[in-house]
Amino acid sequence: MFGWEYPPLHLGGLGVACQGLVRGLLGNGVKVTLVLPHESETSDTEVRFPTDEFVQKLRVCSMLQPYSTFESFEADIRKVPKNKKDVYGDNLGEAISNYTEMSVKMTEDLNPDVVHCHDWMTYEAGRRAAAHHQVPLVAHIHATELDRTNHAPNEYIYQRERMGFEAANRIIAVSNYTKNVLIEHYGIAQEKISVVHNGSADMAPSHELLEFKRTQKKQHPLVLFLGRLVTQKGAVQFLEMASIVHQTKPEVNFVMAGDGHMFEELVDLSCKLGLQDSVIFAGKVGSMEASQLYTQADCFVMPSISEPFGLVALEAISHGTPVILSRQSGAAEVIEDCFTVDFWDTAKMADCVLTILREEPLAHQLRSYAPRILNKLTWQHQASHVQSVYTDLIHC
Amino acid sequence: MNPRICFYFQVHQPYRLRDLRITEVGHGDVDYFDNTKNGEIFRKVAEKCYLPANALMLEMLENHPDFHISYSLSGVFLDQCKEYGPDVLESFQKLAATGKVEFLAETYYHSLASVVSLEEYCEQVTKHVRAIEELFGMTPTVFRNTELIYNNEIAQIARLMGFNGIISEGADAMLQGRNPNDPFRPPTFRLPASREKIVRKHRPLPKRARDIAVLLKNYKLSDDVAFRFSDKSWVGYPLDAHTFTDWLMNSGGQSVNLFMDYETFGEHQWEDTGIFDFLRSLPAIWQERGIKAVTPSQIIADWNKDHAHVYDVHDSISWADMERDLSAWTGNHIQDAALQSIYTLEHQVKMTGNEKLIEAWRKLLTSDHFYYMCTKYWSDGDVHKYFSPYESPYEAYRRYSHALADLRSRLSA
Repeated sequence: MFGWEYPPLHLGGLGVACQGLVRGLLGNGVKVTLVLPHESETSDTEVRFPTDEFVQKLRVCSMLQPYSTFESFEADIRKVPKNKKDVYGDNLGEAISNYTEMSVKMTEDLNPDVVHCHDWMTYEAGRRAAAHHQVPLVAHIHATELDRTNHAPNEYIYQRERMGFEAANRIIAVSNYTKNVLIEHYGIAQEKISVVHNGSADMAPSHELLEFKRTQKKQHPLVLFLGRLVTQKGAVQFLEMASIVHQTKPEVNFVMAGDGHMFEELVDLSCKLGLQDSVIFAGKVGSMEASQLYTQADCFVMPSISEPFGLVALEAISHGTPVILSRQSGAAEVIEDCFTVDFWDTAKMADCVLTILREEPLAHQLRSYAPRILNKLTWQHQASHVQSVYTDLIHC
Repeated sequence: MNPRICFYFQVHQPYRLRDLRITEVGHGDVDYFDNTKNGEIFRKVAEKCYLPANALMLEMLENHPDFHISYSLSGVFLDQCKEYGPDVLESFQKLAATGKVEFLAETYYHSLASVVSLEEYCEQVTKHVRAIEELFGMTPTVFRNTELIYNNEIAQIARLMGFNGIISEGADAMLQGRNPNDPFRPPTFRLPASREKIVRKHRPLPKRARDIAVLLKNYKLSDDVAFRFSDKSWVGYPLDAHTFTDWLMNSGGQSVNLFMDYETFGEHQWEDTGIFDFLRSLPAIWQERGIKAVTPSQIIADWNKDHAHVYDVHDSISWADMERDLSAWTGNHIQDAALQSIYTLEHQVKMTGNEKLIEAWRKLLTSDHFYYMCTKYWSDGDVHKYFSPYESPYEAYRRYSHALADLRSRLSA
């Protein structure tokens, strides 16, 4: 399995999903060798990554990071001390080819039944490894370039994705939403795509927590956004919604947790909307802080413009927080006890927030019913779907 | 002796709510209901079901002397007829003119009042009885409660109201192996004096009935038509009118009660399933084989109450969902909150004497609003989703809670 990021070294949902899937597969008795572009301290499974010694031998190493674009990669390169710079490629394209070469090399001695790769950066490695071992290739898609760029894709990345989809014997999409993107915008045949929704390792909220939330009285209710501050995540829509809520209920506070290139623009916008005393920018939060924010929030809003899945929705639910989800998301397909709205309909989004804040029976029901999904969507269970894709491919 | 057949059809349309917003609450004359959507749905069902089905019924009633049918038309359905379908109302009046159609009494607003507020319950039944008299020139003598919600007390109250018959679900647990095709009677007991007094005060009919017969839905044979008719995975598919008649004849008892939604014809089962042809062929087959289709009152007229078994129902039953209880409308937090909040306003709303306000409040009592808030995803969720005009139970509650909030603000103004 060619991975990309893996906890504790991860930026977004992909690392979490990858770990969940690996653990689920292992739990179902599947042997997994994971190849990562960086060192990992995990004890989950056998992990192969380029060691110094190996790099010496190959004289290349990658500094791949998830969510890279050419621009941000160059920024990273600039951060590397001058004398080390020659170890890394000069641009993203070269870095990937280095990663690919090493990954394939490192796995030559293995004898896999299936090669499984996650998102575009690993597709070429997957393709070559599958060809080398003459086994089926599974391309897992967690987020497409179209999701990340609001349909203004980097041509190089888009082509990489297409190459991977075409080379794969089967594609696993994390939602029907993503499956439709692949069919409509990548021209992939639908028979080739299996949908396996992400799982969750989160626990349902305790009875005590739910009781506490039911009985507490707050002067300043809190509405939470958690995600990178980029167009894709609907950060602007969140502020528009906040402004409408503010007009009816000025005592409501809004927290935007996460960082991203839109930070300054969003601070500006929040001031323009008169929300300077109501919106708090929390910056990038660690898992402890995130957990605290989820618990404190009276309502979690995920207004993404295009969200292949949206694991944050499940995280919020596991903290007993009602969620409002963009209809343009995979999570909205599987979570029953929530509000769903189109990302552009910020007036309706605001109305849902206000209704949840006004109607305690509704909030209580959303808090206590929504976690039922966590028992259904375990990684063990979702991994069994992935496993049956493997079985299918091996036997046909 | 061959059993007789008793057809009864429920005809009902709720007033669905508009996409209300919190910003509208308390801003004066807010209309809660989605007139466009209600009109559209009414016309769609009228074209697919009411008009063609009524035409077919008229043809069968005119051609077959031993063919009778019965309906319960909810008051809110009749109101929508006036708004969106005078042609539909007229076609029902034509059926009434044959003298072979019985109209049953029910709560005007198709409400859950029977299990919440006795006074409102009696008032709604009275309003419905008057409406049927006015539109069809006959006084109902048989009662059927919203979605066949039934318990011993409801039966006794119906008797005190003056009805000599009541319709109920033939639930296995209550039947205990007995045949639903025989009329039953409720256990005899007296209501508390205070409750009897309320019924007396708002009685829809001149005097209480001595006895009341309980006619039970034969759910197996009813659902063969209503739910399974077009189900290709069903062992009985395709259902043939002769085979179905065999089943009816073999089921014994005095009358096979086939109770179902009228929308079965043309709406739940589309015309291309052959449901109309199936229905059309029944009376001739029945005539040939000596089977009569009668109304509930005809069964009750021939009823020997001394031989009747007791149908003993302590906890309410209904014809809804697998559970056949009240869980389609009550039980989760949002349903209970909505139900409690709306009935809490009863006294205040009535005290205003404001007809428009009372009317808006009563339209919010319609059981469908609570049905749409049901979250039983695991069993009958798909059925609830099929019937719901909203995208989720929470959307149903969002709209309802805004209507409630506005109603409250109008009361405090």
